[in-house]
Amino acid sequence: MKAKDLMIPLHECLTPEMPLVQAAHLLKTAKRGEEIVGVKGLPVLDQSGKMIGFLSIGDILKAVFPSYMSLMNLGDFTWDGMVEDFAKKAACKHVSDVMTTDIITVPDEAPLMECVDHMLKSNVKRLPVIDKTGKVVGMLYERDVFYEITRAMDKGAEGVCR
Amino acid sequence: MTTETVTAAQPFVMDTAFWTATVIFLLAYAVIISEKIHKTIIAIFGAGLMLVLKILEQHEAFHLEEFGIDWNVIFLLISMMVIINLMRPTGVFEYIAIKSAKLGKGEPFRIMAIFAVVTAVLSALLDNVTTVLLITPVTLLIADALDVDPVPYLLSCAFASNIGGTATLIGDPPNIMIASKAQLNFMDFIYHLAPVVIVMMVVYIIVIKLIWGKKLVTRDELKQRIMNMNENDAIKDPVMLTKSLVVLGIVLTGFIFHGVLHFQPATVALFGAGLLLLLSKTHEPHHILAEVEWPTIFFFMGLFIIVGGVVKVGLIKWMSLQILELTQGNMFATSMVIMWFSAFASAIVDNIPYVATMNPLIVDMARQLWPDLSGVQLLQHPDLMPVWWSLALGACLGGNGSAIGASANVIVVGMSEKAGKKISFMKFMAYGMPIMILTVFMATIYVWLRYYVLKI
Repeated sequence: MKAKDLMIPLHECLTPEMPLVQAAHLLKTAKRGEEIVGVKGLPVLDQSGKMIGFLSIGDILKAVFPSYMSLMNLGDFTWDGMVEDFAKKAACKHVSDVMTTDIITVPDEAPLMECVDHMLKSNVKRLPVIDKTGKVVGMLYERDVFYEITRAMDKGAEGVCR
Repeated sequence: MTTETVTAAQPFVMDTAFWTATVIFLLAYAVIISEKIHKTIIAIFGAGLMLVLKILEQHEAFHLEEFGIDWNVIFLLISMMVIINLMRPTGVFEYIAIKSAKLGKGEPFRIMAIFAVVTAVLSALLDNVTTVLLITPVTLLIADALDVDPVPYLLSCAFASNIGGTATLIGDPPNIMIASKAQLNFMDFIYHLAPVVIVMMVVYIIVIKLIWGKKLVTRDELKQRIMNMNENDAIKDPVMLTKSLVVLGIVLTGFIFHGVLHFQPATVALFGAGLLLLLSKTHEPHHILAEVEWPTIFFFMGLFIIVGGVVKVGLIKWMSLQILELTQGNMFATSMVIMWFSAFASAIVDNIPYVATMNPLIVDMARQLWPDLSGVQLLQHPDLMPVWWSLALGACLGGNGSAIGASANVIVVGMSEKAGKKISFMKFMAYGMPIMILTVFMATIYVWLRYYVLKI
């Protein structure tokens, strides 16, 4: 099994100038196959279709999290409505301001173990899959790798684990 | 070459070693000011050059007080950093900051004034960088809670830390270096610098009231956010907090009496750090020690060696003779020249390399003036004391002059930018330079009145 066999083809993508509010809606309404289920992250492509970053739900949480909060233990001293206030301020930020630029991708021909290697070592749950020209062609999700592992386990366990 | 006047006093030769060391020194300072390469890397490389080119022998750099690393400064800094790193997770600093904000009852200016005083006091007891690292995040939180512009609070915090740090031996690195060089003790600094710093703080509060007092307004429901905070929630480890406070108490008492007990300040601090590490029962000292600001420590070590090189070849002696010639040996004029020059120099250059250079220069000047004296009698000659205090006041207060004048300023500006509020170099200077001039002017009056008129 290779990355391209398990990946979900890419329907939507983000652009760097897109306002965060629009990007967040796109994440919410993104399709997975035929269904609108929403996704936890999408690649950010420039005009030539080259991937320049990745925006996940975690990045959006970081966008409303003031930088000073990470420097000291201030969680006890926040107030009701704080996240909402910061969300209003963050709505007009650009995707490029908050996206992750240090991204790990896998080639579409990569064996599954290479993908698992990235997922475990870099602690990511989604991997953009790129073709030979460097274009993003799909996303490989941890969940789909897990399904593949269960299928393999089922086969292996037949008549063995008694 | 104008070597005649120099050689007349005490001979030295402007030979190859002299020029090599001078070029290394000047280049290192130029690159430090330009910020093209990290200052620590330049300091280490410059020190390496001084050794490899045999300007200094390794033995001189590592083991001689006159030319080498001042281990008293290094161990005092490391030990205080270890103590603070152990105290930080207890939540005591969050507690102090939240408690201060509540004391201000949510009134924006009252909070600003209380924060300024707390910052000044903490800066006098800890170093300035640590203080602003602990105060700035809470300041930003409070400004968000009150929906007011955080920039005045951040600027005020930086200014107060530089003023407050001037008051004690451990408050600001220049003072640590001066104390070690002149063998001054903790109480000397309290006795000679704290009184004027207290007056400066009073004036400072009035000044910030005039600048920002009317501009900072908030709504009553937002003040309630502050009053709803419970500072007791901050305390995460009461047992460790108790231990930390006991050790801090021992260390501060040790500082107060170190002169009488004939301990160096570093001895007191190292004992405190060791004791608190022991009491913390940590099995992993690795992360506590890793959090020591090693780049700063190595910056100091490198600088000591670079300056040691130019001391050895006679550049510093040449510079001290120029100052003496300029002031004609008049000690009041010398104090004033040093204070004002230090203030402007510290606004442009990091005050650490500046004081590292000035220290041996002043010692050399003293040797020219009183060739028969040595040791403490020379270093603490009654006529020399106001010069040391002028250096301390100028170098510490000069830090307020620009955004790069003190490490505390750099941190405040950096944090502000991260929070989306950029403080430009000019904006910092628009407030910082007048405050620097005002405080140095007060220091001028103080030194003149106390040491040259009242002579107390």
